[in-house]
Formats: sequence, structure tokens, C-alpha cells
Amino acid sequence: MKIFCLIACFLFTCFITAKGEGQGVVSNGIPPAGKDSHNTSFHSNPGPTRKLVLIFHHMIGNKTLLLGETFTTATGDTIQVYKFKYYLSNFSVTDDKGKIIQLPPQYCLVDEADSASKTIVLNIPDITVTGVSWLLGVDSIKNVSGIQSGALDPLKGMFWTWNSGYVMAKLEGSATASKIAGQSFQYHIGGFRTPMNTLRTIRLSASLEKDVPAIHIIADINRWFTGKTNLSIAETPVCHGPGPLAVRIADNYSTMFSIQNTY
Amino acid sequence: MKLSGKVWVLALIIFSGIGWVTADNTYFKPRPVKFITPLGWPKPVYDFSKNPLTEEGIALGRKLFYDGSLSRDGNFSCGSCHQQFGAFNTYDHNLSHGFNNSLTTRNAPGLFNLAWQKEFMWDGGINHLDLQPLAPITADNEMAMNIETVISNLRRDKEYRRMFRSAFGDETINYLRMGRALSQFMLQMVSSNSKYDKVKRGEASFILPEKLGYEIFQKKCTGCHTEPLFSDFSYRNTGMSTDRALNDLGRMKITGDSRDSLKFRVPSLRNVALTFPYGHDGRFFSLLNVFEHYRKNMVADKHTDSLLRGKLALSNYEIGQLTAFLYTLTDSSFVKDPRFAAPGNINDKPPVDIHQ
Repeated sequence: MKIFCLIACFLFTCFITAKGEGQGVVSNGIPPAGKDSHNTSFHSNPGPTRKLVLIFHHMIGNKTLLLGETFTTATGDTIQVYKFKYYLSNFSVTDDKGKIIQLPPQYCLVDEADSASKTIVLNIPDITVTGVSWLLGVDSIKNVSGIQSGALDPLKGMFWTWNSGYVMAKLEGSATASKIAGQSFQYHIGGFRTPMNTLRTIRLSASLEKDVPAIHIIADINRWFTGKTNLSIAETPVCHGPGPLAVRIADNYSTMFSIQNTY
Repeated sequence: MKLSGKVWVLALIIFSGIGWVTADNTYFKPRPVKFITPLGWPKPVYDFSKNPLTEEGIALGRKLFYDGSLSRDGNFSCGSCHQQFGAFNTYDHNLSHGFNNSLTTRNAPGLFNLAWQKEFMWDGGINHLDLQPLAPITADNEMAMNIETVISNLRRDKEYRRMFRSAFGDETINYLRMGRALSQFMLQMVSSNSKYDKVKRGEASFILPEKLGYEIFQKKCTGCHTEPLFSDFSYRNTGMSTDRALNDLGRMKITGDSRDSLKFRVPSLRNVALTFPYGHDGRFFSLLNVFEHYRKNMVADKHTDSLLRGKLALSNYEIGQLTAFLYTLTDSSFVKDPRFAAPGNINDKPPVDIHQ
């Protein structure tokens, strides 16, 4: 009997030890990736919370995007898309009285090649949502705060090493109109300093019934080429740094999102 | 009685177990290293609270700094282009050698006193020391590696797993930790023990040419090469003509502002006798070339820095005295300090003449 007790106690202490070691990561000041997203405290609105799921659908016009498939853009270009990804951060929701509630910090990289990344879970106060908003890109603070981890890890291929800063959105592929090697086009859009700031705040309003658990959002790649001014792949197939072209494309793609709940 | 006895034994064992758990939590205890700001220097700009220096972190950073396997062909460590005997520049090279017989497009600067530097590279494009190593590791004409491969190689290495664990508490290896460890190693590379520093501390005195040179320096050079770091870390157009092969626009590449065309960061003059050649592309092979540039060869027009529009009047006499002064900025204990040398050095103690 005593031996049994001893063994039980040994197992018990082992269990505690294992837990203790795991906590060492946190006490070292390096929070594990994604921990922020589970934070349920609201500075302005304490109380019951619920989840709101944003589901992103990538389209070209009325066709669903498939990587490597051929599509015709609204500007008449025949293109294939190989990479399509963008950062979302600084989420907020609007309640039925028009009050905007800033949500806890959360940084998400939505990537067409990673279907799980196209679903984002927000923890929101238990309100009737009439609008949702986010920053398209990584806010300037995180661009000047050294290395980040999780979605913001430079490993994600969305960071410029020679001119510190995040690529806010990336669209790569090939187009018959392109005159450069491989008939490719590469749009790496970034820059967080004025006047080359490519951060864009996206506000979508939605007349949702209370407790609607998910919002379906469409991102239309056509808008990269037509959003505010027309972008010709033949003329400018490449954008690889902050500058007027990046700002122009950011203005264009800032119009790419819309809510479609009939999905 | 028998039962309560068992309970007691159980309780005792649990308590001793808890004691063991507590002891185990203190198992991860990196030894902190105090960062010392030399007397009279400004506060460092690096935020040590986010990345406190520890012996384990520094040791890891040192191993990484001298590890050639961070490059594609295994030949190029950070230390291969940042050589200690040249105050961590590429000694006697205008440009450095990279992967597959390539050359860099800029002169590798010496590495020291980085805790006081806010931006890096000749154009200031990199805004944090922790991020700096990403650029040379991934550049095709430097280490030509991708970060994913570097990280997965490190994860496979038992010794690295052990070192990451002792520096950061567990075996997680990612770029965040790698960059921080490299920073820890580079941050403690403080050069503050030149003859100039000793004179300032009252431990030595200038001989006459050095003293005269210092007076000329304070009159003509401190507008940009501000003491005690010998740079104000600003970006200036010093009238260097464009090299057609490199076509380097300098700071304008970063800001996109045409007013920043051909501006480059003011380099520190500490250890200047060792860090030749000079200039962003290493075009000046000696200090005399630099003086000739400033007094005669430079392009002085409306784009040139306002302090240099009339060029810089320097007599032969002044050049001689200035050179004598600039030689007092050489920190011989820094370039021989075994703490900064490649790991495996048997005598791992700082030289006795290091001033703390």
C-alpha cells in the first residue's frame, strides 16, 4: 500500500513538474504565438463575451480564386495567381448604438494557401454587431519594435529585411500581359511611414441579427486592378518596396472587402 | 491510527514533491550580465528590458555569430566579414566577399557600441538591432540563406537546443530568440578603452600632435562626428560622386524622398585607424584619401550637406595633427578581448587592461 502511495505521489509530482516547466516560457517574457487572441478582457466593455467568426472568401469577380487557375480580371488581363496573402490587425466591432469597441490586440495573416488562416475568431462583448473594422496591414508600432513571433514572425515571408517593415499584402502570379521574366507580376505592398503609408482601415457595416456567429467576407482581387485607379500589369508588373506605386495599389485594394451573408 | 499514518506519509511526500517542483522551476536561471554605460556617455537606445543580457544568451549569440553553417555553403559566418582585428569590419577590403564569388555593394562597417545606435546599414534601412542579421543572412551576395533553413538546421542540432534552453528556458528555436541572442552578443561589444577615453578619464595625456589634432577636430569635425560616440548617426551627403556600377542612392532608397539622395549615415570614427577602407563603398583606402576628398575632390553643390558646401578647408599641417588624434581612437583592448573572439578560446578572461 505504501509503495502504491509512493508511486502515485511520484507521478503526481512529475505532472506538476511538467506543468512548471511549461510555464517557464511565459515567465521569460516571450508569450507563445497566438496567446493574445485568447485574451477576453475589454478595456471599455467588461461583461459577458462571445465569439464572432470572420470567414474570408477570395474571389476574382464572381469566380472563386484557385491558385494556379487562369482567370480574366476586370481590366481584361488573363492571370494566374500563385500567392495571395495579407495581414489584418486592430479589430473592432460596432454595436447597435453605433459605439465602436476596440478588441484586444490580434494579428492575423490571411493566406489563400492556408485555408485555416481564412477563418478568424474574434472574442467580442455580447452585443448586436452592426459593423466590423480592422487595419489592413501591421500597425506602425509593430513595424518598429524589433522581432515579433507568431503571425508576425519574419519567417512568414512578409517582412522586408533591407528596409525594416512588414509587407502588408502580397499578390503574385503570372499574366499574359506581363513583359518581364516568367510573364510574372509581383505586388509586395508595404510601407508604414507617411507619405508612403500603406496601412488602410477597413470598415464594413452589417445589419446582423443578434448572436449571428459568423460573418462571411469577400475579398475581390479585381479591386487590386480597378479599386480607385486602374493598374496595368503590362506597365507596372512589380512593386517591391514602399513608394507611390505601393500607396496606389493599397488605395485600390482597400476597397476589396465586402460582407456577403447569403453565402 | 494506521490510516492517519498513511495520510501523514502521503502529505509528507507531496510536500517534498512541491519542494522539488519549486526547485525545478528555478532550474532555468540564466546568469544576468550587467550592461555598463561608460562614464559620461548617453543612455543606450537599445531596450534591454525586452532582452536582458545573460551569460547564456551571450554565449549562444557568440556561437551563432561565428557559425558558418548560417550561410548556404557553410563558408560565411557573421564573423567572416566582421573581423575582430579590424574592430569587426572586413579588414582591408572595400567590399566584402559573399556566396559564390559575389561582392557586397557596400563597405562592412566596424561593429561596436551598437547599443547606442538606433538604425543600421549605411542607409538606416533597418530599425532594430534584433532585425539586422536577417539582411546579411538572406542577401544573395552575402550568406545567401533563407531563414527557414537556418532555423530548421538549428532545431536539428543538439548543442543549439541545449543552448537555447539554457538561454531562454526551453528548446523553442525561432528567429525571435536567434535575433535576440545575436543582439546580446553584439550589445556587449563596447569599445570605450582607447587612448582618447583614457585621457578623458584622466589616466593618460595626449602628446602635443594629438592635443593639437583634438583641438582641430573639435573645431572642424564634431558637427557630424559627435563625441563620445564620434557620430551623430544622421544621414548626410558628403559630396561623393555616384559609382556608376553600384548606382547607390543611399538614404533615398529607404525614404523615397529625393532630398535624401546620396545621403549616408555618418560613421563612428572610433577605431578608425583599423577600419580602412572608408566611405559607404570603401572607395577611400586611407585617411589621406578622405582628407583629400573633403578639402579638394568632393562635389560641393546645393545637394551637399550644408556643413560641407564650401568643402572643408584643411592644411597639410592640420591633416597631420588630425591623423595623430584619430589614431588615439584605436581601442587595442577591444580588438583583443577574448570575450568577443570565436568560441573555443581557452583563455576566456578579459585582458587585464580592460577598464570597467
